[in-house]
Amino acid sequence: MKLTDKLLAPIDKALERFDPLWQAENGKGGLRSRYYDKTGVAKWREWRGVKDTLYDYTAWLNNILSMVQMVASAPLPILKGFWEYRWMGSYLGTFMFIDRLFEGYRGTELRIAHMNMHAIVQSLTKKIAFGLKNDARLGGGKDTYNIIPHDETITPLFLKGFKGLYPFPLQTLPEFIICDIDQHIEPYYIDVAESYGLPADVCSRCAAETGVAIDDAFPLVGKVMLSTNMPCNASEATSMFQRRRIGKPDFPITLAMQHNNPEALPYSRQTLKDAMAFVEEHYGVKYDWNEFFKYARLMNEQNTIELEKWDLFKTPYSPLSGVAESLYRLYEWQSVNGQEPYFNKVDRKVIEIMRRAYEQKYRPFSGKTRHRAFLWGPSAVYYTDFPTWVQNCWGITIVLNMDSTMGYNMIDTEDPKKAMDDLTRFTEKACMRHHAVGGWDNINALWDWARNFNCDMILFNDNIACKGMLGTHALMEEQARDLGFHFIFVEHDLQDSRTVSRQDMRNCVNNYMSVVLNEKPLDPTIVEFDDSQAY
Amino acid sequence: MKDLKHLIFFENLLQDAQNELVSKAKAEGRLALGYNCYYVPEVLLNLPGCFSSRLRAPRCTSTDIAGYYMTNRTCPYARSILERAVEGGYNYLDALFGAESCATMDRMEQHFFLIKPIKNERFFVTQIDPPMKGDQTNLDYYKVQLRVKILEPLRERLGVDVSEEAMRKAIEEHNRLCRVVTEIGNFRRLPNPPITGYEFHVIQLVSQVCPHDLILPYLEETLEELRSREPEPKFPFRARVVLVGSEIDDEGFTKLIEGCGAMVVADRYCFGSFPSREEIEIREGESAFDAIARTYLYWNQCARFMDGMKIDQRTNEVKRLVDEFHADGVIYENMKFCEFWSYEKVLKSNILINELHVPTCTIEKEYALGAVGQLRTRFQAFIESLEIKHIQGGKNA
Amino acid sequence: MRKKCSCKLLKLLGKLLGKVALIGLIGFVLTFALYITNGENKLIYYVIRPWLNKHYDSQVRDRKV
Repeated sequence: MKLTDKLLAPIDKALERFDPLWQAENGKGGLRSRYYDKTGVAKWREWRGVKDTLYDYTAWLNNILSMVQMVASAPLPILKGFWEYRWMGSYLGTFMFIDRLFEGYRGTELRIAHMNMHAIVQSLTKKIAFGLKNDARLGGGKDTYNIIPHDETITPLFLKGFKGLYPFPLQTLPEFIICDIDQHIEPYYIDVAESYGLPADVCSRCAAETGVAIDDAFPLVGKVMLSTNMPCNASEATSMFQRRRIGKPDFPITLAMQHNNPEALPYSRQTLKDAMAFVEEHYGVKYDWNEFFKYARLMNEQNTIELEKWDLFKTPYSPLSGVAESLYRLYEWQSVNGQEPYFNKVDRKVIEIMRRAYEQKYRPFSGKTRHRAFLWGPSAVYYTDFPTWVQNCWGITIVLNMDSTMGYNMIDTEDPKKAMDDLTRFTEKACMRHHAVGGWDNINALWDWARNFNCDMILFNDNIACKGMLGTHALMEEQARDLGFHFIFVEHDLQDSRTVSRQDMRNCVNNYMSVVLNEKPLDPTIVEFDDSQAY
Repeated sequence: MKDLKHLIFFENLLQDAQNELVSKAKAEGRLALGYNCYYVPEVLLNLPGCFSSRLRAPRCTSTDIAGYYMTNRTCPYARSILERAVEGGYNYLDALFGAESCATMDRMEQHFFLIKPIKNERFFVTQIDPPMKGDQTNLDYYKVQLRVKILEPLRERLGVDVSEEAMRKAIEEHNRLCRVVTEIGNFRRLPNPPITGYEFHVIQLVSQVCPHDLILPYLEETLEELRSREPEPKFPFRARVVLVGSEIDDEGFTKLIEGCGAMVVADRYCFGSFPSREEIEIREGESAFDAIARTYLYWNQCARFMDGMKIDQRTNEVKRLVDEFHADGVIYENMKFCEFWSYEKVLKSNILINELHVPTCTIEKEYALGAVGQLRTRFQAFIESLEIKHIQGGKNA
Repeated sequence: MRKKCSCKLLKLLGKLLGKVALIGLIGFVLTFALYITNGENKLIYYVIRPWLNKHYDSQVRDRKV
C-alpha cells in the first residue's frame, strides 16, 4: 500500500457511509439515493473515496476548461449557435451526462474512463466551435467553403487526402452525440418530421435527421454534400430530405451492401474514386496520397492498439469495458478516424495502464462481475449509460459492443493502389453497418465474437424500428439456446425515449435476471426508478 | 360494360401462387424460378426451360409463424411470403432469386435457406446486391450481380442455357408480352376507357405470376376483345387517379378505390406496370445481357435509389403518368413498415401538391386488405375534393 | 546590502506564493463546493434550460420539406 493510501484510509473509512457502493452493500441506500426523483439531478456528486473523488473533480475541471476554450475561441458564433439551434442548448447537459456514464466507477476504471471521455470532450468542443464559426447560417467564416460536409457514417479518413479541406460529419452535432447527452432533444425533431406525415414506425434516428433537415437545424457548411447508403434503408431515404433542404450538389457514396462478397470490392472502390473525383471537381483540389498516408498511419496505430485492447478484454483483468470502451471507440473510429493525434496519445497511455492491470491481475469493479456480456445490435442512443447500469445493478460487464468491431484492417501507407483497396474495406465496415446488414453471416458472427471474448451472455439490442435486426429474432434466440448463452432482448427505440423508456429497457434485463436466473441485484435502489425527466 | 371473357379465369389464377398454369408448366418439366422484386429482371427467369413466378401470398390472413421469426414489426408483404412458404405454398419453386433491396426483404429471403421451408431438393436461394444509383459504376455492378447471382447459378446448378441466343429469344418473348399488356393498359388513357383499373390490375398480375407463354394467348385474346368492347355510355367514375407507391399485389385494393368512385388509370407501384412492361431494345453492338441490365436499371423506380437523377426521375415519371393518363390526382401509398416508401411518400406528395399542383392523397396500408373502412373514408374524401375541383373548374383546389 | 536585498526578494516571493496559494485554495474550495453540490447541473437544469427552452419554443422556424 502506498503512503498516500495509508494516510487516506482512515478518512475514507470515516466517510464511507457517503459512498453509494458501500451503502448498497450494507443495505443503507445506493446509487439512486442521492437523486431528486424523476429529474436525474443529483443532490450532490458521488462520493467515491478521497482519491477517486478528487480524480473525478479534476476530470470535471479539465472538461470545464475545454468548454471555456471552446467559447473563448469563437464567442459570438457560440452564442449565436445557442440562440439559433435547439440542439445546442442540450449540450449544457454534458456534465450530467458524464456523471451518469461513470457512476460507480472507481480506481483504474475511473481513470481510463475519464481519459477517454476528456479526449472526446476536447475534440467535440473544437468541432462545435469550428462548425459554428463557419456556419453560413450564422454568418460564415474563413473556412466555410473549405469544409466537406459528409454523412456521419462515412469515415472521414479518405477525405484527408484533400489538403486544406476539412471533413465535417453533418449529423454528429445536431443529431447523434446530442441524443447521447439529452434523451428529450430528438423527440422534438422526430415530431417535426412526423408532422409532415412521416410514419412513426420508421427508424427514429433517421426520422430525427429528417426533422433536423426540415427544421433548418443543420449547420450550413461546404460547397457540396457527401451522403451515403450506410448503414441502412432509412438513412438512405432520409438523405433525400437533407439533399433537398440543404440544397448543395450531393454525391451519394453507395458502398456495396454485401461487402463480404468478392465482387463488392471493385464496386465500392470505384464508388470511393467517383466521390474523390466529385470533391476534386467542386473544390478544385487534387487528391494528395502523401497527405492521406500521414493520417492513415495514425489510424493504423489506433487500430493496432485497439486489437491489443481486444486481447485484454478477453481476460477478466480489463479495467476498460462498458460505456467507457464503446463510446470512445465509436467516436474515435467513426469521427476521429486518424485525424487527431491527441487520441493516439490517449491510446498509448490507456494501453500502458491496461497492460499493467493485466500483469497485476487487477479485478475491475471490485471483482463484482457476475456475467460477461457481448452487446449486439445498434444501442439506444438515448440510454448511453445503459452498460453502466447493468454493471452496477446486476454485475454484468459489457465486454465489447457490436459497433466497436468496425473496420480494423490496416491501411497500406506507401502504395496508393493497395491503400485504395484497404481503405475501401475499412470504409465499408462502418458503424451499425459491419454486422447489421449485408448478409446473414454478418449478423450471425455474434456467436464467434461472444465465444472469443469469453462471454456467457448476449444483450441483444432490439431496436423496435430496425427492420434488419427484427428480421432475425427467432433464429437468434433459438441459436442462443442451442449454444448455451444467456440471451436478453433489450427493446428500445434508438432515439425516441417516449416509445420505450429507459425503465422499460431496464425491465428487460430485470425480468431475465430475477425471473430466469433468480439473481439478486447488487444495488436494489437502481432496479426500478423514474428518470423520465432526466436529460 | 360486358364482362371480359377471361376475367373470372384470371381472377382464379390469382387465388394461389401455384395456380393452374404454374402446375401445367411444372408438369411439362420446366423450372419454376421465384422472385420478389423488379431488381431481378423477369426476362432472365424466362430463359428456355424456365418460367418466372413473382411471389405473392394470396388470401393470407395471418402471419403468426412469420411473426415469430421476424416479429410483427416488419413489412407485412415479406412476412406473408414467409408465412406462405412455411405453409408449403411455394414447394413448386426450384430457386428463389432474391434481392437485398430492403432489409426486411433480405431477412425474409434468408429464411428461405435458413429454415428451409421449400420442400424441393434442388431448391436454392441467391440474393443480388442491387444498385442504388443510375450511373455507370452502378450499372457495371448490377451486371456483375446479375451474372454472379442469377446467370451462373442458372447455368451451373440448373443447366439452363444462358447463351446470347437464348437471351435474345427470351427478350423477344418478353417484349411480345410487354406489347400486349402495354396496349391493354393504354386503353386507360381514353376519356371513357373500355377497361377498368381493376381489370387491368388483374391482367398485369397474371402476367407476372403465370408462365408467359401459357398466359399470353389469353392476354392476346383479351386485347382483341377490348378493341371492340363497348365502354359505358358515360364515364362511370367521378375522378381519375394514378396509384403510386410500394408493393400492391392485391387486386382488391384497386377495386376498393374504384368502388369509392375513382378509376385507377395508371399503376406506378411494385407489381404495377410502370415499370415492368417496357420493351427491351438491343442497341447496335450491344449484347442481349447488357441491354437487359441497362433497361432494368433505367426504368427502375424504386424509392431506394439515392442519386439526384433517379430521385427526380421518380417525380417526373409520376407527373408524366398524370399528364398522359389525364389523371385528376395521385394516391401515394406505402406498405406499413416500408421505410423507403414512407419517406418517398412524404417528400413527393409535398412536391406534387405544392410545386406541381397535383392533388395528392397519402395513405398507409397493410398487405392483406384490412382497415377497409378507414381507407374508404380517406378515398371518398379525396375523390370528393377532386370532384369539387372539377365542378369549380380547377379553382380553389 | 545584498543580504537585505535577497531578504526582501524572498519576502516578496513568499508573499506572492502565499497569495497564489490562497487564491488556489479559495479557487479549490469554490470549485470543489460547486462540484460536490452539483451546483452547475442544478443551475442548468432548473434555470438555464427552462429559459432556453422558452426561447426555442417561441422561435418561428422556416420549415419546409
